[in-house]
Amino acid sequence: MLTGTLVNYYTHCRRQCWLFYHHINMEDNSEDVRIGRVLHELKKQDKKEIALEGIKLDKLTAEYVTEIKKSDADIPAAMAQLEYYLIVLRDKGIMRKGRLECIEKNKQNKSIHTLTLTEERMGELKKEYRSIEEFLNSDVPPPPPKIKPMCKKCAYFEYCFI
Amino acid sequence: MNSDTRYIFSTGELFQKDFSIVFRKEDGNIYFPVKDTRELYCFNEVTLSTKLMQLLAKAGIVVHFFGYYENYIGTFYPKEYLLSGRLTVAQALAYGNNRLTVAKPIVCGTAKNIHFVLYHYYRHGKSDLKEFLDWLHKSVPKLVDDTGDIKQLLRIEGAIWAGFYQTFREILPESFAMNKRVKRPPDNPINALISFGNTLLYTKTITEIYHTHLNQTISFLHEPAERRFSLSLDLSEVFKPILVYRTIFDCVNNRKITVEKHFNKSLNYALLNDAGRKTFIEAFDERLNQTFEHNTLKRRISFKQAIRLDGYKLIKYILEGKKFVPFCMEDKK
Ligand code: SF4
Repeated sequence: MLTGTLVNYYTHCRRQCWLFYHHINMEDNSEDVRIGRVLHELKKQDKKEIALEGIKLDKLTAEYVTEIKKSDADIPAAMAQLEYYLIVLRDKGIMRKGRLECIEKNKQNKSIHTLTLTEERMGELKKEYRSIEEFLNSDVPPPPPKIKPMCKKCAYFEYCFI
Repeated sequence: MNSDTRYIFSTGELFQKDFSIVFRKEDGNIYFPVKDTRELYCFNEVTLSTKLMQLLAKAGIVVHFFGYYENYIGTFYPKEYLLSGRLTVAQALAYGNNRLTVAKPIVCGTAKNIHFVLYHYYRHGKSDLKEFLDWLHKSVPKLVDDTGDIKQLLRIEGAIWAGFYQTFREILPESFAMNKRVKRPPDNPINALISFGNTLLYTKTITEIYHTHLNQTISFLHEPAERRFSLSLDLSEVFKPILVYRTIFDCVNNRKITVEKHFNKSLNYALLNDAGRKTFIEAFDERLNQTFEHNTLKRRISFKQAIRLDGYKLIKYILEGKKFVPFCMEDKK
């Protein structure tokens, strides 16, 4: 089943999306991640998230679904994820607009982005989701492209380019 | 020592306090913060509680236990946090269908890395090594290529190591040169060093494989039934010459370790004593944490990371069919 994260990764990097879907997630050696993992495991603190069928919403108001991202490194990917949420909600009869908040803004000069789904866009997206599902069921991941700047920060870097 | 490995040599008790592992021994407490501990070695009698094991399991800290006589007792292997059903199935299938495709490069890689180690001595005047070096370089790849059978491949591997041991007469002082490799129990100083070094590397490799999705029991060169962590035997093979043997040669030839001072006299010098064990581990760890510029990644990595990267290469072969070529000292990749 598709999830918001997978849609995000599909837009960001297809190879990452495939690997993640097949649970080839890499150990991240950065200290933050390790501390985070240990703390999380030890405390199991429950975050205030709204979870339904493969989607976890940061915030749901009368008008908006809000997705909060730490950085604005890949806005298109985050927006794709948000669109996915909107469609899942819509299928349940919940109509909302999307709102993306980035905590750190480096590349963009605004930190809040909004989006509204049109009927036409919905049709396109449904088709796209089918092709993502097909893609995920393929036997092998797409080979890594030439090293891109985003690869240097990616947890899969060593795996991809070894 | 820049390392996330903690070695415990004295007797004592391990327990948890806040986010630290505490080792209480006779002369005081030592604190190991959880966040930068990945691996623990216990070389003495150590008591630990279930509660601590819970912490170790959650934090993914691997613990290796040794008896007082350097004998490896076993490993506390925390619950896996990296698991991919797809990969596990594919790894088993690869064993069934393509065992030699993985096993052969391991044998060739071992020969290459032995060649690398010995070439250094050849260049420094040990001209008698030439014949063996040529054999490694020219004959071994052909022999490996031609074989279609795992037993024969293992015989080639055996011949490589036997030939390597023969060269010790050339490169080690007489007190350490050996006639015959005796494993369990080792019967002289050099066998003691080799056994201890190989076991250390084996356990290090277990820890590195823990941080990948590979299944530790499905091996290719070695029989999967050989040990509980038989994949570690496979992946550590090519690293033995460059990590274990170079450490031994360095310690012995530079007199950091001597028969009189660092071996147990009452056991006929067939085991290291406390001082010997510590010296060896220190030298071994230093080598393991040494970094170099990786040829394809264009990043500095340590030899320890190189072991994990070989795990990634194996995953890539299993999952994506990319040719498996284990670490080679000459091209540093
Ligand atoms: S390293 Fe680059 S190619 Fe590989 S998964 Fe990450 S972003 Fe994609």
